[in-house]
Amino acid sequence: MTLIATRPGPGAARAYRFPQVVRRTVAGGRVVAAHLPGQNLAVALLLLDGGAGREPVGKEGLGAVLAKALEEGTAHRDATTYALAIEALGTELVTGLDWDSFQVSVQVPVDRLSAAVELMAEAVRTPRLDPADVLRVRDDEATALRMDWANPGPRADAVLRADLFGVEHRWGRPLYGDPDSVAALEADDVTVFHSEWFIRPGTLIVAGDLERIDLDALGAAAFVGTGGGPVDRGGPIEVPLADRRRIILVDRPGSVQSTLRLGHPSPHRGHPDHVPMTLAGTVLGGAFTSRLNHLIREVRGYTYGIRGDFASSRRFGRFAVSSGVQTAVTAPALVESVGEVSRTRETGVTEEELEVARSWRAGQLSVELQSPRAIASALTTLVVHDLPDDYHATLREALLAATAEEVSAAAATHLHPEALTLVVEGDAAVIRDELVAADLGEVVDHA
Amino acid sequence: MPDSGFPWPIETTRLDNGLRVVVSEDRTAPAVAVNLWYDVGSRHEPAGQTGFAHLFEHLMFEGSVNVAKTEHMKLIQGAGGSLNATTNPDRTNYFETVPAEHLELALWLEADRMGGLVPALTQETLDNQRDVVKNERRQRYENVPYGDAWLRLLPLLYPPGHPYHHATIGSMADLNAADLATFQAFHTTYYAPNNAVLTVAGDAPAAEVFALADKYFGGLAPRPDIPAAPDGRTVPATGRPAVETVTADVPAPRVYLAHRTHPFGATGYDVTTVLATVLGSGRGSRLYQRLADGERIAQPDLIGAYGVDLAHAPAPLIATATARPGVTADRLRDGLAEVVDELATVPVTAAELDRAKALLSTSWWRQMSTVDGRADTLGRYATQFGDPARAADRLPGWLAVTAEQIAEQAAELLGAADRVILTYLPEETS
Repeated sequence: MTLIATRPGPGAARAYRFPQVVRRTVAGGRVVAAHLPGQNLAVALLLLDGGAGREPVGKEGLGAVLAKALEEGTAHRDATTYALAIEALGTELVTGLDWDSFQVSVQVPVDRLSAAVELMAEAVRTPRLDPADVLRVRDDEATALRMDWANPGPRADAVLRADLFGVEHRWGRPLYGDPDSVAALEADDVTVFHSEWFIRPGTLIVAGDLERIDLDALGAAAFVGTGGGPVDRGGPIEVPLADRRRIILVDRPGSVQSTLRLGHPSPHRGHPDHVPMTLAGTVLGGAFTSRLNHLIREVRGYTYGIRGDFASSRRFGRFAVSSGVQTAVTAPALVESVGEVSRTRETGVTEEELEVARSWRAGQLSVELQSPRAIASALTTLVVHDLPDDYHATLREALLAATAEEVSAAAATHLHPEALTLVVEGDAAVIRDELVAADLGEVVDHA
Repeated sequence: MPDSGFPWPIETTRLDNGLRVVVSEDRTAPAVAVNLWYDVGSRHEPAGQTGFAHLFEHLMFEGSVNVAKTEHMKLIQGAGGSLNATTNPDRTNYFETVPAEHLELALWLEADRMGGLVPALTQETLDNQRDVVKNERRQRYENVPYGDAWLRLLPLLYPPGHPYHHATIGSMADLNAADLATFQAFHTTYYAPNNAVLTVAGDAPAAEVFALADKYFGGLAPRPDIPAAPDGRTVPATGRPAVETVTADVPAPRVYLAHRTHPFGATGYDVTTVLATVLGSGRGSRLYQRLADGERIAQPDLIGAYGVDLAHAPAPLIATATARPGVTADRLRDGLAEVVDELATVPVTAAELDRAKALLSTSWWRQMSTVDGRADTLGRYATQFGDPARAADRLPGWLAVTAEQIAEQAAELLGAADRVILTYLPEETS
C-alpha cells in the first residue's frame, strides 16, 4: 500500500462569474434572463406577487389550491387536452409557493421553450376555474394535506410557527394551510384570488442559451392579456421574542422517534446582518460539519441528521433547529442542542470553523449554480429581494471577507436560547416525565 | 432529434492496478465533479449481514490513514464543495463537486479512503455509525406511513437467496450483530482499485486528471480474487401472484403492483422505461387519466409508475395508487390492475408514445445539465457495461421504442400470474 501522506493544497483559483443577466421590459411586464451558452435545456418561470403572504387569514391554502386548479382546463382546452399538449413538449407545469411569491415554470429542450411558455401563460392567465373542478381540487388538496400530516413533522412545524408568530397573523399559520383550512375554502375564494393576483404581469425569468431564445416573443406570450400594476408589498414585521423558554409536547403515540423543532423569530431577509447571520447559522447547524450535527449525530449517535439555520422572507424570519431523534434520547438530545445554541451565542465561532463555513458558502455558488433550474432560482432571488445583477459575485466576496468578530457578534445578537420554543412531536406518555425533569422550561401539552 | 445522449468528450484510461479513470472535460463553469463507483452493493451481502454495504458507506466518512475522523467532510465543505454517497443493491458510489482548483484534494481524499481505511477503523466509530444507520432506518422506513413498502416488495419480487431479496438498509438484528473484523474484511475484499471506476467531469483536462489519478491511486494494490455476487439473472416464475396485505397506521388504503422486467441496460428495459412513463408519469399518463381524473378513485398526487434501474437481475416495475376518501382498497386494486392489464390489449397511441418520449428526453437532459449528473452517468456505464460511451445510447434507445414492443412486453411480463400485489389498509378507527 502506498498512500500519499501530504494533503495537496489548492491550485490556482479560477474566476467565478454568474451568467450574464439581461433585463428588459416587454408588453407591460419584466423579463429577467441569464445566458447559458451551449445549454440544451431551458427554464422559463413566471414570478407573481401572489405568495402565501397575500392570502387572507382564514384562507390558508388558497394559493396551493389555485396552483392545482390552473391545470383543470383553460379558456381554450379541457384538462386532458391541456395535459397532453404540455407534456408532449416534455414538461409538466411546475408550481411553487413561498411567503413572497407564486411561481410557475416549465423546463424543456430549448427549441420547445416558446411553445411551453405559451401553454404556461394560457394556464396562468386564462384558467377555466369551473366551480365543480375547483371544489374537487380543493377536496383533493385537503386529502393530500391529511396524508402529509400523517407523517411526523407538519404538525410540529405548525405548532412552532403559531407559537413564534401568533395564529392571528397569516404568517403564524402553515405556508400551505392545513387540512381544515383548505377544506373550508370556497370556489369563489379561488377565483377572486386569481383575479386579484394572477393577471398582473409579474416577471418572466428565463435561464438558457439566449442565442437560441427570443426574449421579446416569450415576454409577449407571458404577458398577453395582463393588466394592473405592482401592489405595495409591505415592510418588515416586528416579531417579539418570547419572555421565557418552554416545551410544547405534540403527542404521536407509538412513535419510534421524536421530531424536534426548536425556534425563535429572527430578522427579515433585507437585514444588514444577513451575511454574518448566515455564517453563524452555518457554523452552528447549516452544514454536515456543523456543531449540532457533529455532537448529536457524529459523537452521540442520537439521530440520522440535525440542522439549524436562519431562514428569512421579505417581511420576517426565524431561527430553527430540526431533527428526528430516537425516542429514548429525546431529553438529552434537547438539552445538548439548546446547549450548542447557548455556547454559540456566548462564545461565538472560531476562526477555524468560520474558515470552513465561508469557503463552503462561497464555493457553493459555483458548485450549485449550474443547471438552468438553479440559475432560474437565483434570478428569482434577485427579483423578489430587489438585488442587482452582480449580487451573487458581491455575495461571494462578502462571505469570504466576513471576520470571526462579525460572525460572533451576529451570533450574540441574533441567537436567543432563553427565548426558544422547543416543540417535541413524539410519544408523550413515554417522554413527558423526562422532558419535565430536563428542566429546560415549562412543558405544555399541545391541545 | 439527437442521435447521441452524450455530446461531450469522453476519455478513458486504466491504471496498472486496474482502476478505470473516465474524464469528460467541460470548461463552462469552474467546477469539477469527482465520482467513484465501487462495484459492490447489498446484492453482495450474505444472509446475516444485510445492511453491511450501506453501513460501510457511512464508515468511509469517518477517517483513514492520513485523514482524521470527520475531516473528509470538513475539507470538502471547507473547499466549497458538495458531497455525498449512496448505496443500492447494485453498487456504492461516493461523489463530490468542488471548485476546480480543489480537484487534487478530492482525489487525495478518495485515494486515502480507498487504500487506507482499515487501519483507521475503530470499534467506537463502528458503534457510532451503527447508531446513525439505525436512526436512518427509523426515520426513513419505520416512522412514516407506508415507509416500509420497499422493504416488503423486494422479498415478494425475489425469492430467498436472490441478491435482491433483501433491502439495502438491512435488518436491525443484522446491524446489531455487525463486528469490526467483518467490516475490515469487507473493505479489504471490495474496496480495491480494480473494483472501482473514477470519473471526473467538468473543468479539468483529461491528461491532468490521468496524471493525478496515477499519482494518488497508482500505488494501491489490486485484489485478484474479488468474489462475485450471487447470479440473479434468472428468477423462476411461480405461476401465481405474490400477495401481501398489511394493516397499519396509514391514512388511506394504498396499493402497489410490481413486476419483474429486464435488467437496466437491456433493450427490454428501455421498453420498460417508456412503458412506465406512458402508464404513470404525469397528468397525461394512463393511470392519472383513468383513476385520478376519470373514475376519480385515486388521489391525484399519489399515483404513478416507475422502473427501478437495477442492472444485475430483472428490474422491478412498480405502479402505485392511494385511495380517495370512501374508496375501498379492493376497488382501487381492481382499477389499477385493469389499467396495467390494458397495456397488453389497448395499443399505445402515437400521441401517448410521443408524450412519454418528450418527458424522458427532458429528464435525460436535466441529468446531463450538471457536471455531477454527467459524472455519475459515466461512472454507471463504465461500471455496469464496461464502457462509459454507452451512456450516449440510452436516450436514442428510449426514442426507438415502439408501441408494438410495449404491448409485447406487457403481454409477456405484466400478466396476473407474475404480479406482486401489496396493499395497505388503515387500522380500524372508532
